[in-house]
Amino acid sequence: MARYGMVIDLNTCIGCNACTMACKAEHATPKGIFWAKVLEKEVGKFPAARRIFLPVLCNHCKNPICQEVCPTGATYKREDGIVLIDYDMCIGCRSCMEACPYGPRAFYESDGAYYPGERTAYEKSQQDFSEGVVMKCNFCVERVDQGLDPACVVTCVTECRVFGDLDDPQSEVARLVADKKARPLLPEKGLEPSVFYVGS
Amino acid sequence: MIAPRENEDVWIHSVCDMCFAACGILAHRKDGVLVKIEGDPNCPASEGHLCAKGQAALIGLYDPSRVKAPLRRTNPQKGIGVDPKWEEISWETALDILTDKLAKVRDKDQRGLLISNFDHIAATYFIGGAWAVAFGTPNHHWTGYYCGNYLHSSMYLTNGSFHSDFDLDYCNYAILLGNQQGFMGGLNANVAARKMAEARKRGMRVVVVDPVGTNAAAKADEWVPIRPGTDGAFILSLIHVLVNELECYDREFLTHRTNAAYLVREDGSYLKEGRDGKPLVWDLKSQGAVPFDQADIETALEGSFVAGGEKCQTAFQVIKEQVKRYTPEQVAPITTIPADAIRRIAKEFGAAARIGSTIMIDGKPLPYRPVAVNIYRGAGAHKHGTHTALAVQMLNMVVGAFYVPGGHRGVNLVGPSRSWMPGETVEGLVTPPATIGRAARYYDFEDKRPEGMELHELFPISTNRSPMNQLNLQDPKMFGLPYTIDVLMVCRRNLMMNNVNPAIMAETIKKVPFVVTFSTHLDEVAELADLVLPEAHFLERLDFMPNTLTHTMSPATGHFYWGLRQPIVEPRGQARRWIDVLFEIAERMGFLGEFYGLLNVKWGMKEPYKLDPAKRYTMEEMYDRWMKSLFGPERGLDWFKENGYHKVARAIEEKYPGPFIKPRFPIYFENMLRAKKSVAKVASEMGREWDTEDYQVFPEWKPCPAYKDGTPPYDLYVVNFKIPFHALSVTTQNPWLDDLAEHNPYAYKILINTETGGRKGIKDGEEIWVESVAGKVKGEAKLTECIHPEVVGIAGVFGSWAKGKPVAKGKGVHFNTLLPISLERIDPVSTGVDSCIRVKVSRAA
Repeated sequence: MARYGMVIDLNTCIGCNACTMACKAEHATPKGIFWAKVLEKEVGKFPAARRIFLPVLCNHCKNPICQEVCPTGATYKREDGIVLIDYDMCIGCRSCMEACPYGPRAFYESDGAYYPGERTAYEKSQQDFSEGVVMKCNFCVERVDQGLDPACVVTCVTECRVFGDLDDPQSEVARLVADKKARPLLPEKGLEPSVFYVGS
Repeated sequence: MIAPRENEDVWIHSVCDMCFAACGILAHRKDGVLVKIEGDPNCPASEGHLCAKGQAALIGLYDPSRVKAPLRRTNPQKGIGVDPKWEEISWETALDILTDKLAKVRDKDQRGLLISNFDHIAATYFIGGAWAVAFGTPNHHWTGYYCGNYLHSSMYLTNGSFHSDFDLDYCNYAILLGNQQGFMGGLNANVAARKMAEARKRGMRVVVVDPVGTNAAAKADEWVPIRPGTDGAFILSLIHVLVNELECYDREFLTHRTNAAYLVREDGSYLKEGRDGKPLVWDLKSQGAVPFDQADIETALEGSFVAGGEKCQTAFQVIKEQVKRYTPEQVAPITTIPADAIRRIAKEFGAAARIGSTIMIDGKPLPYRPVAVNIYRGAGAHKHGTHTALAVQMLNMVVGAFYVPGGHRGVNLVGPSRSWMPGETVEGLVTPPATIGRAARYYDFEDKRPEGMELHELFPISTNRSPMNQLNLQDPKMFGLPYTIDVLMVCRRNLMMNNVNPAIMAETIKKVPFVVTFSTHLDEVAELADLVLPEAHFLERLDFMPNTLTHTMSPATGHFYWGLRQPIVEPRGQARRWIDVLFEIAERMGFLGEFYGLLNVKWGMKEPYKLDPAKRYTMEEMYDRWMKSLFGPERGLDWFKENGYHKVARAIEEKYPGPFIKPRFPIYFENMLRAKKSVAKVASEMGREWDTEDYQVFPEWKPCPAYKDGTPPYDLYVVNFKIPFHALSVTTQNPWLDDLAEHNPYAYKILINTETGGRKGIKDGEEIWVESVAGKVKGEAKLTECIHPEVVGIAGVFGSWAKGKPVAKGKGVHFNTLLPISLERIDPVSTGVDSCIRVKVSRAA
């Protein structure tokens, strides 16, 4: 069975947020909620200063602490490693958000429509969640199941993201993880993320 | 008509309109609802990728605040914040009102109609131009205070192309001067970003010279913060180090592919001889002056001579002498860039140019000059900006990095299958291809009194002169044009946000008796309009050729391509496409036949597809004819709807035309002397004193007003900058992009250097005022290390105030409020408004 993962090249990311928007458009996420985002910070002092970008999403950990703490079993991991939330079972207790050290999850409280009043025809047709649930990146499972790459990978204008099977030594992600000393965020937490970074 | 079927699930080819890159998109429509936009893998401009703006376009389609029906103003009082008291009317009534106004203008003086049209320089922009000609007005170019003025002037003059770019396939060392080409900004932004990433992976060095630590600066190998308005001094210093200290310049290229070897007299003009007046060069074999194109000569690139009893020297000799004023030591205190850094960058640039080397591509040996310096808005947006832009191209030419692999190149000097080629003057110098038109004839001047609002004859070395529209409207006596503007027709432009200070602009627009605007929203222009016509969203439009081959199609795409923006859904409410409405107006007013005749010429229509002036065609029928005329009967509208793109791979001569074309590139601007005379004569006929100082054979660095005017308390410069997920003002009302901007550390903020802020007692996150002599703006301070300590930075065109744009209203800061307009603050060659000014900052609390 595959174990899906992603490698993101930080040298190549230009912080344009095409991924952020691809994710929003793919999943019709509510206002103020981004499953994928690009964190920014500054390093150094003028004139030797620069901004650095860190694209983040759910790490789809091998040992997902979110699943462990979920009291209802709403958070679960597929055999292919994709960690998902069953909105029907989620009670919005947010234990998962407390437990996850990466912060990719968001609680959708209410009023997520982008325009005042009724949701748009697009939002009505695309939103499969209701208020009061926790949500996060699902690795574009609906696309992956059709053999497509996640939306953020496809749209990236610098092609800095690679998606594939970490368990297949022939896959590009596996090779990148092996060759380039790709590292995950916060490895010391022992959660074994499936999202890796190369470069800086 | 689009007839959505039940259980429909289709992907439709179309073209984005969120910036001028016009990337191909695939729009996913399910049961009549647009649910996703992705990049079209078949489009050379996107190759399946799409930026944040393009993807966000879909939510904008559903905006409930869009204008859905024609509206007539009932409140005769006009002003910012004054309720127009709109009355909804039918299209029939609206067009009756409009044609009545236009007919009166046409009877009185056709030139009394002023049109504002841009359309991202798509084919529709030029259709609008043809409509204006058919109507009879020369006034159809009011695009805003800035539209690449300095850049386009310098490009047409030095290499006959409209837009600047460089070859990311082979470049190894790039200097980005006040621009972010390759970092989701500028020409064909999407392809450029991908190619930039590839080039950086293979080791291309990127030096970003910018007062603001932009996204480009973040990824650069080196960010060089520069004092605003001093880029010209920096570039001239690099030239000085290369030619005088390192003796690193491309002798072969300069001698044979430019006018550097032409002999010039003491007054700067060419030494010419003979009936045809060809410029002369010094032949080392015969030790005499001979025509530049004489065969079997050994041309001197440098030196001073006496020919025909007259003292002369080569143009390059003049250049070498002139740049000696720009030693790194002299330039360092001007730019704040340390002298050793200037010297090092010059050395690196020169070494990376690999002068003398060649590369085999497609079996052809070509000069290989893998370096480029690229310029766009930032560095040029100052008084004397044309000089800076010309200096940039001089630098590219000094090392021979001009239209060869790895170097600078503009868009499409040579057309597909050589369908167009650059022109050539009697001096053997390049001019823009004839397809670009008369707008850029920089060698033969018409010394006549200007009739157009843009006063072209006073600015012969320019492409568009938008700011002059405003000055003429503000004070019709200023230039004494023999007519006044009675109708202003705004086609999808936000003149209030994209021009200088809104209070000044409102007074300007109020002077026009009748203002009509094609708007998707009750925007800042609509607030001052008499008639608002509901404009279709781009996803409801049909536009052929959104990327114009002659103007905005980067060779980086590797193709020539023709695309179709086709509607994904029917227009909302009664919205229509402005260009369709123009055809209807022409029909109602009786000049449709003439309009068709002009389009037949403009589009190069062949039989049997020519438009018959006696008939009436739909937009679909016209585009179908145009396509078939271009590509044959098999490739009409239906083919484009189905396939999206017709594309042709570029031959090597079309990618790197430099070695394959005959005309030379001017590095010495002798025609400026003639332009100067022409301008002086025109001004004198107008009875005006006129500053012609900037018409010089050689570019100089001259301080812009902001540089000189640091009088306390106006101690800081303010500049604006681009963020990768907004473009112009058109994206500000998009709620997804707004959401992104709200979560971005810089987008809606006022950037100020941490130390500078600290000195002024300003804390991160607190409200501050930024005030210039023209206006003041309030916003949240962002203390940052990533900005020059003398500079305040404000992103984008934010800070909307119209009630009809509820998402954008009050978000971010309106930079342009801080700018005044006057002849003193306009680049005298290109007319670009100086968009940098001194400001003071203070805590708002």
